[in-house]
Amino acid sequence: MVNRLRSLGAVLLRRDRFEDAMRDELQFHIDAYADDLVAAGVPRAEAERRARVEFGGSERVKEECRQARGVRLLDEIRQDVRYAVRSMAKTRAFTAAAVLSIALGIGANTAIFSLMDAVLLRAMPIKDPQQLYFLGHDPGERISTSANYPMFERYHDMDVFSGVTVYSTNAQGFRVVTADGTETLDGQFVSGNYHGVLGVPFVLGNGFTSEPDRSGSPNLIAVISDSYWARRFGRSPDVLGKTLTIRGRAFTIVGVTAPAFYSLEPGLRVDVTLPMSIRALDQPGFLDDHGGFISLKIVGRLRAGVGEAQAAAALDTVFRQYMSEPAQQWVYEGSSKYFQAAALLPAARGSDDLRRQYAKPLNVLMAMVGLVLLIACANVANLLLARAAARTREVAVRMGVGAGRARLVRQFLTESLLLALAGGALGLLLAFPATSAILSLFNAGPISVLLDVSPNITVLAFTTIASIATGVAFGLVPALRATRVNLTPALKDGGSGLIGGHRWTTGTVLVASQLALCVVVIAAAGLLVRTLQNLRTLDAGFRKENVLLFNVDTTAVGFPAEQRPAFYADLVERLRARPGVLSVSLSRRTPIDFSNELRRIEVPGFQGQGVQGVSTNVVTPEYFATFGIGLMRGRGFTPQDHRNAPRVALVSDAMARFFFGESDPIGRSFRLGGGSQQETWTIVGMVQDVRQERLRTDAPTRMVYTPLMQAPRGPDARSDTLSRLTVEIRSGGAVAVLTALAASVREEARAVRKDAVVSYVRTMDEQLDASLIRERVLATLSTAFSALALVLSGVGLYGVMAYTVARRSREIGIKLALGAARTSVLLQVLRDTLTVSATGIAVGVFAAVVLAEGVSAFLFGLAPRDPLTLVGSAAVLLVTTLVAGYLPARKAAAVDPMQALRTE
Amino acid sequence: MAKTADLLPGTLDLLILKAVSLKPLHGYGVLLRIQQISGNALEIPQGSLYPALYRLEHQGLITAEWGESDNKRKAKYYTVTAAGRRRLREETDGWKRLATAMAAALDTTPDEV
Repeated sequence: MVNRLRSLGAVLLRRDRFEDAMRDELQFHIDAYADDLVAAGVPRAEAERRARVEFGGSERVKEECRQARGVRLLDEIRQDVRYAVRSMAKTRAFTAAAVLSIALGIGANTAIFSLMDAVLLRAMPIKDPQQLYFLGHDPGERISTSANYPMFERYHDMDVFSGVTVYSTNAQGFRVVTADGTETLDGQFVSGNYHGVLGVPFVLGNGFTSEPDRSGSPNLIAVISDSYWARRFGRSPDVLGKTLTIRGRAFTIVGVTAPAFYSLEPGLRVDVTLPMSIRALDQPGFLDDHGGFISLKIVGRLRAGVGEAQAAAALDTVFRQYMSEPAQQWVYEGSSKYFQAAALLPAARGSDDLRRQYAKPLNVLMAMVGLVLLIACANVANLLLARAAARTREVAVRMGVGAGRARLVRQFLTESLLLALAGGALGLLLAFPATSAILSLFNAGPISVLLDVSPNITVLAFTTIASIATGVAFGLVPALRATRVNLTPALKDGGSGLIGGHRWTTGTVLVASQLALCVVVIAAAGLLVRTLQNLRTLDAGFRKENVLLFNVDTTAVGFPAEQRPAFYADLVERLRARPGVLSVSLSRRTPIDFSNELRRIEVPGFQGQGVQGVSTNVVTPEYFATFGIGLMRGRGFTPQDHRNAPRVALVSDAMARFFFGESDPIGRSFRLGGGSQQETWTIVGMVQDVRQERLRTDAPTRMVYTPLMQAPRGPDARSDTLSRLTVEIRSGGAVAVLTALAASVREEARAVRKDAVVSYVRTMDEQLDASLIRERVLATLSTAFSALALVLSGVGLYGVMAYTVARRSREIGIKLALGAARTSVLLQVLRDTLTVSATGIAVGVFAAVVLAEGVSAFLFGLAPRDPLTLVGSAAVLLVTTLVAGYLPARKAAAVDPMQALRTE
Repeated sequence: MAKTADLLPGTLDLLILKAVSLKPLHGYGVLLRIQQISGNALEIPQGSLYPALYRLEHQGLITAEWGESDNKRKAKYYTVTAAGRRRLREETDGWKRLATAMAAALDTTPDEV
């Protein structure tokens, strides 16, 4: 096989040389034979004649030689391509319409596929990625990868792994001091063996070399990403040895990772990597903290010859042993399904956080663009059918002179493939800006999802295969139909004749199917758009208008913990003094920020089974005024609820109802936390329920609020509640007030203390929007795709009807000449259009009802078979088809009988 | 001219392989060599020789190289490849078995039945 391809390749590359050599070789044969004849006594002239005659027809021999080398097929294909290009150039409007249809279909598919590739499919560019596993827990659908450092140390020396490492991403980012100010970079802390265990590729220098994490005086070294190297150092080779100043320390750059690698977190561009020992330095006790499973992830590389099941079993033993130790008593056992068993999660494609979030939406979008491509295919098939009808005569002539049907089908297919490939190429060009636009939709929120969606082999292969499949899909039926010609009548009258009444042709069936597919796409989009609307207009229990939020970080080196209360008091005072400000509050969490702080709760007298948990927040008294959360019973917090006063708490309606039933919660006590940290609180008031963690919840969260002034204080940043807080400001109605505030909060904070860092300034509306990114991406894209589907189907319907009218102009002319009213002709054509579209739409509505389950997981506040959406989608299509049908109908009614009869 | 036999289908390829396995030959030489080794008993239609050569070259059983003929002219010389030699051996065995079987069958006399 290889040899055949090579020999064919040699012929193709050197086609002239092949022909020359063949001619020389045959000539040599004839000459040599003639020479022998002469030697045997035949006169030269006679000898040459006989040599030629006995050799036979040299053209036929050559043709057979070409065939023996597989050249003939290629010659024919080349002919077909040349012929196809010529005929495409002749019918420019047709070619443009077909190529554009395919380009839109393929473009949309390529764009979504690029995202799928980047989010779901691509393996990490590291050594043998399939050997890597996250060492997590809770086997099942949602394996959790959270861990803590002591756990890593238990796993570290297990012999089923050739290496185990640990890392933590730093959501806060690193603030790097540069000559021209400060910039914030995504960063991570990794164990000393991280680069070695993962086999991270480097373009310059090296990774960390097993520096111990527990080191009182760690090496101040850093690894940077290729993109940061390019951005900040212009890819200068002498970057190694330069320093970056982060949190007052100068880190020496020891390595630059290869371009494709950032971290094991897809979507996160980690630009700076620091040793775990630095984190331990900043957060004393971090490495010994058993107090919860945090965003530390443990990764292990399977030792050669060790199976996944074997490793999982070994891991489970160590995990259970660890979890049974007294230090793990903190575990919130609200549900018995957590922390019960260890689990391995393949790490070849990195962390699955992003995949988990976007796998289903991407599948839905991929299905939608698949349908759009089918609609585009139907369009092109229809165009080809119409053109095939116009080419009946040409086909008849070619068959008449002896061209085989297979040869003609091949010719037609070559044309479709050319159209498809041209469309695919254009689609590819359209796809890249589209992908970037889609990515920017994802990045509307505070956390950017940075993905590499630049063209790559996988995407190119996808587009090529999709284009070829498309070409065959829309080309085969027209090719077969076009070549099924009854020669005589076609030659006689050129193929057009009297067609009576409406009937189902391949063309109208295609249009009806297009419309059916279109209904499915539009219905899906309708459901997703209405879901977004439902979520945006949802009463979440708080007032989101006119609230500005920002985060304050007071953990800078040289910001003593005891100065924090005064700093916050000053800041709140300054902000409250601003014109238009109604209230200013501080809190640990805000509604819909996707954080959760579940704590164990014990309520004396509560009869429920098992250990219970509640969601907690720490707030200042003004929090409830800022968010408009109403007090239902008792009193709110006051400045008198200070450190030395009795511990008081507010609870939400749902919390009170769950734990106290119908009895009055005011004055009741409960205990929060476990072990030595357990605290007793007394309820002084009950407030309205809010949706706390996210909008999409079934039951309201059981909340406990405690006063900030009574919150735990500690020596280090982690245990001090005041180290990081959110500030909330409610302003009067004017938008300008909010805008002005947003622009100046940083200066206000700096005016109080220079080293206080303000970040993520946003309005509550923006925070809500950020929480709805997935819904908005789905709604926006599905709307765009349904618009595309609608345009394609509308154009398809218009094309078929216009073509029918053109073909029937003679019949229409006769009718008009016989005295038919023009309105009745118009109505007749409209009726035909409606028959086709109503059938298609009816089938589509049925299909939509069947397929709606596919998006049910994304819906909120409406059923997958929401009647309003279905009726709406059908109505939109009906109007579109009426418009698309009216234009050809008007043209039909305007036919001039004399002209129509004469031209035929 | 001596009495000649028509070629059985599939035998031309085998004969060509045999001819070029003895010594590299140009196309005309192959023709002469086959006539010579078959004692002029086999007549090769000249026109079908070249398609067969091209087919064998395409299959990688022989390779071709330009060289100089005895009378100092440029000619294309064919050589058998390792794969060609293998094929020749297999097919030769096959042919011999077939020929023996055929001869035995056709020589059978009534007494032997």
